[in-house]
Amino acid sequence: MNTKPAPDLVVQNLSVHYGEQVALKDVTLQIEGGQILALIGPSGCGKSTFLRVLNRLVDRSAEAHCTGEVFLGDTRVLDPKTDVVALRRAVGMVFQQPSAFPFSVFDNVAYGPRLQGVRSASRLRSLVESSLKQAALWDEVRGKLRRPAASLSGGQQQRLCIARALAVSPEVLLLDEPTAALDPLSTAKIEELILALRGDYTFVLVTHNLQQAARVSDVTAFFRQGRLIEIAPTRDMFTAPKCEETEEFLTGRYE
Amino acid sequence: MKRQMGMGDQCLYRVVWVGAFSLVVLGIAIFAILFWGTAKFVLAHGLNQSLLGLIYEPTQGRFGLLPFMAGSLVVSGIALAVAIPLALSLAVTVVDMTPRRTETVRQILSGLVAIPSVVFGWWGLSVVVPAIRWISGHSGFSLLAAGLVLAVMILPTLSLLSINALTRVRVQWVEGSLALGATPDQTMGRLILAVSRFPLLEASIIALGRALGETMAVQMVIGGRVLLPHGLVSPGATLTTQILTDMSLLPPGVSGHHVLDFMALLLLAAMYGMVVLLERTRRMSP
Repeated sequence: MNTKPAPDLVVQNLSVHYGEQVALKDVTLQIEGGQILALIGPSGCGKSTFLRVLNRLVDRSAEAHCTGEVFLGDTRVLDPKTDVVALRRAVGMVFQQPSAFPFSVFDNVAYGPRLQGVRSASRLRSLVESSLKQAALWDEVRGKLRRPAASLSGGQQQRLCIARALAVSPEVLLLDEPTAALDPLSTAKIEELILALRGDYTFVLVTHNLQQAARVSDVTAFFRQGRLIEIAPTRDMFTAPKCEETEEFLTGRYE
Repeated sequence: MKRQMGMGDQCLYRVVWVGAFSLVVLGIAIFAILFWGTAKFVLAHGLNQSLLGLIYEPTQGRFGLLPFMAGSLVVSGIALAVAIPLALSLAVTVVDMTPRRTETVRQILSGLVAIPSVVFGWWGLSVVVPAIRWISGHSGFSLLAAGLVLAVMILPTLSLLSINALTRVRVQWVEGSLALGATPDQTMGRLILAVSRFPLLEASIIALGRALGETMAVQMVIGGRVLLPHGLVSPGATLTTQILTDMSLLPPGVSGHHVLDFMALLLLAAMYGMVVLLERTRRMSP
């Protein structure tokens, strides 16, 4: 599907302020292209802000101010000269609440390609089909492509959002608590899907579900109060965390 | 239930019940009286000379209502054609503002909504009519003047409703669109406006209702000519203004008095159609 290699993610001394308030402080980390990075930490620790920096959705908050450097492959994400639209095409995002547009299943997936000027009906159809297959949703929605997206279950809508993101051939996928609103079965399907796509895309997954981080990620980063406390290969992190704070969090001594 | 109520509760219950019941009776009574008058009128004069007639000379027994229906439609049409693009532009601009500024705009618009229609009429008389007189060389009292005055009059309501429609679009949808690489303009056109098309249609219907029913502001600038209008700068009349004009000309008892009932019934039917349309639109909204 994706011919471009998944880019490395390099973050150097990233800080984000909302006015006076510090959301992220001096974060430095690095993961290889194609890996799955899981971000864990208590609510309000800056995980979501980190995600929104990577596709510059953080720009929507007028008071947000970012310093430091973020590289996705060769792209300098925070450079004011960077083409945000091109960046966002390369960096897909899936939100916590299923955010399927109030259109048909087909129009949801075709939304991205149409933005880029794809008009041909047959081209759109094949793009929609391949994206839905990639998102493991095709078998459930074939023949129902004209139905409203809202008629799908929550889990299906979330996979639809993944298909929608895949349809513009991104290189990076940002997942902001993609299973927070789903039942265990739908959650399992999303996790299977992430594992199936591993290697083709660089993933950054924010999750409140520690088992989920342990199950799907290659690298885990633990954030607290805007600081990166620890980052390590997932297996090491969950068996032998280096920092006391990480251990306290993983064993549930504070939330 | 009722048996458990105390004396005070029962008393209150009756008062409320009487209030609700009299409202229903009042509604039916208005409709019945208009219908009765219309029936009497149609039996006496026929439909051809009234509903479908072009010439209105009540003293000669000719009651053609087409000029007024045309006048109402043209005037409301001008008002919508001018007001909708302006309101939409305002709404599109406001949506990208910070919440505090949006609130300021809302407050200003709410203030404008409260202006009595006679003030708009007076403004039309002192500004719009002379302007049209100066440009066209005609008297200035015209369908165009009435349409423009109505456009300005419905603009605050229409803008307010349009802003509400656009700001109700969910943040996740907007961010989902941006995250797919849509420019702000593409997000506006393909998502926000597409999602709010039915609420926007609803706003237009409400505005059309207000325009169609307005009397005083229109009467002050339209010129009151009872012939079928030839052009936008020629004077004319609407169903509402003609009722106002002929109230004194055709008092009860005079032959043709019931043509007023007929005109009122036509207006009522148009407004009712609008309400039905509104309900349908609401049901189609996502």
